[in-house]
Amino acid sequence: MGSISFRNVDKVFGQGTGGVKALDDINLDIADKEFVAIVGPSGCGKTTCLRMVAGFEAASAGSVLVNGRPVTAPGPDRAVVFQQFALFPWKTVRENIELGLRNKNLPVGERNDLVASALKLMNLETHVEAFPHQLSGGMQQRVAIARAYVLDPEVLLMDEPFGALDAQTRVVMQEELVRLARHNPRTVLFITHAVEEAVYLADRVAIMTRRPGRIKEVLDIKAVRERENWDSHARIEDVMDLESFVHLRTHIWKSLREEKGFKDV
Amino acid sequence: MTSPSLGFRETMLLGLAGLASFIGLWSFLSVSGIVPAQFLPGPLDVASRFFDLLTAPFAGATLPAHLASSFQRYAYGVLLAAAIGVPLGLLMGFFRLLDDIVTPLFDGLRFIAPIAWVPFAALWFGTGIGGPIMIIFAGAFPPCLINAYRGARFVEPRLIEAARMLGTPSTRMILEVLLPAAVPSIIAGLRVSAGLGWQSLVGAELIVAAAGVGFMMVQAQGSVQTPTVMAGMIAIGLVGMLIDVLLRQGEGWLRRRRGLES
Amino acid sequence: MAPVASRKTLIGGMTVIGLVMLWFGLTTLTGLVTSARFPSPAEFWLSLKQINGRGYAGSTLVSHAFHSLKLVLMGFAVAVLTGVPLGLWMGWSRRVEAFVNPVFLIIRPIPPLAWIPLAILWLGLGDAAKILVIWFSAFVPSVINAFTGVRNIDKPILEAARMLGTPRWRMVREVILPASLPMIFTGLRLSLQASWTTLVAAELVGALVGVGFVLNMAQQDIYPGMILVGMVTVGILGWVTTLLLARVERRALAWNVAARD
Repeated sequence: MGSISFRNVDKVFGQGTGGVKALDDINLDIADKEFVAIVGPSGCGKTTCLRMVAGFEAASAGSVLVNGRPVTAPGPDRAVVFQQFALFPWKTVRENIELGLRNKNLPVGERNDLVASALKLMNLETHVEAFPHQLSGGMQQRVAIARAYVLDPEVLLMDEPFGALDAQTRVVMQEELVRLARHNPRTVLFITHAVEEAVYLADRVAIMTRRPGRIKEVLDIKAVRERENWDSHARIEDVMDLESFVHLRTHIWKSLREEKGFKDV
Repeated sequence: MTSPSLGFRETMLLGLAGLASFIGLWSFLSVSGIVPAQFLPGPLDVASRFFDLLTAPFAGATLPAHLASSFQRYAYGVLLAAAIGVPLGLLMGFFRLLDDIVTPLFDGLRFIAPIAWVPFAALWFGTGIGGPIMIIFAGAFPPCLINAYRGARFVEPRLIEAARMLGTPSTRMILEVLLPAAVPSIIAGLRVSAGLGWQSLVGAELIVAAAGVGFMMVQAQGSVQTPTVMAGMIAIGLVGMLIDVLLRQGEGWLRRRRGLES
Repeated sequence: MAPVASRKTLIGGMTVIGLVMLWFGLTTLTGLVTSARFPSPAEFWLSLKQINGRGYAGSTLVSHAFHSLKLVLMGFAVAVLTGVPLGLWMGWSRRVEAFVNPVFLIIRPIPPLAWIPLAILWLGLGDAAKILVIWFSAFVPSVINAFTGVRNIDKPILEAARMLGTPRWRMVREVILPASLPMIFTGLRLSLQASWTTLVAAELVGALVGVGFVLNMAQQDIYPGMILVGMVTVGILGWVTTLLLARVERRALAWNVAARD
């Protein structure tokens, strides 16, 4: 089980008159095993939404619920994949993936099995004993995803996870994430500023306004995807060529462009 | 996750509590007689001795007079270190041959603590003003040299290429490209030098000197006048802090002017 | 790369040879520098033989050097074992920082060497006074760098650890400590350097044995050959201990990209 709810959430940074309102009355419900992407202009507070679910920030007003319970602190039930990977440079690939399981006090045998399957899932078997700095950016992000997946979290929070990767690696990772998400669905909250990425990956896309961020529109991608059978195309460029994809993408672009100051982005 | 920032009030209160515990413990040890007052005078005794020394001479001079004589040596030593270290560093950064010649020598001497030059300094320049100056020089020289060298050696290569492309001759290259580009690094080096020089001065005066704060402290130690020793420590600390604050201000001003910091 | 390296070695080697020849020329051949100012190579050699055989200033060079080394290592160890934990704690907790900082700000400007007279007053000319001053001098860099190390940890690293549900003690041992380790080692290098400077100074001010004491006696005897022996010994000891520390660092930071380059 893993559902996420934002109920009338406000977020203000700073205090008193110097305070800046980052989020204004956010309402969003994400169902169990649903993949929702939030897109919006830079600085609209989309990352703040994710950080509140993760428990790194508290809402100034309203509530953030996971499975109906308010979030109080970070925890392994809500695994985060960071944009800058945030791997522990002094730990090998295995040790990075293993830490969360050790924190759960799982017995060694079970731990090893889980690590092995996570390594297999993300094609990391040949780099088990490598240190992060010996890996390419794409490989590092695989480790970060494996570290999150291995915990079998109720909710997976991905904060522009492919933002730091080069274009080609990015495409490969997007395809792999689609493969993972379709075959082994999780509740995912995915933050990105890349419109194509959001449409390609998500079941629903929420579009945010400029600061103070509000949710402007939520698009149902899944209905279109299933109707037009996107998943019969293995490659991202083939999906992106489909008329239905182009239509959704253009719609989101127009919606973003309406935002005041779009050209500053 | 480190704990969140504290408010101003809490910071002040905790800071005062820290200071109070420090001074309280010191006073307690001294007043209770756990440590004989002869060896650990209370804060008030030290403070009153400090103010006495401003007018009453000890070991031949008042505290300000000792400080003045210390500072004179210090200034000579640091200026000499900068006058030799900075140009040499810049030249090493520009001329590879000089770099290859000086670096091994410098690396060899680097591990000798500056204070170990004391015997030769005394032998060559006497214990008056020359010897201490040489030791201050030994302490202050390396950062001057290293920072000027790094500043010149690691100038953005494109700046040098651009200057070459414009046909700039060597002398002008050093004076108008390398030197200005290295200035922030040089200033940082000078600040470190100033601190190390002050340290070395204290060491030098403890061992070879006939005047100065360090000399005053050694004399006081010899006659078991602990308050005078501690007053000397305070004076040295205050002057050292003053030097550092002034240089920091200067460095900040310079960096701002260059647009390196807002 | 090879030609560059060999060029460097060649020029470096030639410089050293040239310097030795200059030394020999100025002192022995021409007598431009008299032996009252700087020893000739022969005098240096004789002094070295004397201190290794009959001994000087009470014992042989090896036992002087060993004694100094022992004191430096002890003072350094005490400073590191107290300074690094305090620095880590101050970095971790803003409260501890706020409590300790003002005291630290007051004591810090006092140069370590200025503690020497006080240490001698308290503990006399023996080993305890030396260890005390080395502690004072090596403590500050250890604290400051450990503190900075903790404060400079990438925020996402800490968040990742919290997200994984890492318990407190494991957080300190497996996240905070290794993440601060590069900075801690920077502090240790400075601490080691400070330890040697302070010890030599303390031994010059007053001691009964040790390299600084050799220097002190040689200065009083106006014995340039022995002064040079003392200085070379100080340099070698500083060099060897720095090298050892660098080796430990390389091993401890094998994961660190910066340390490899």
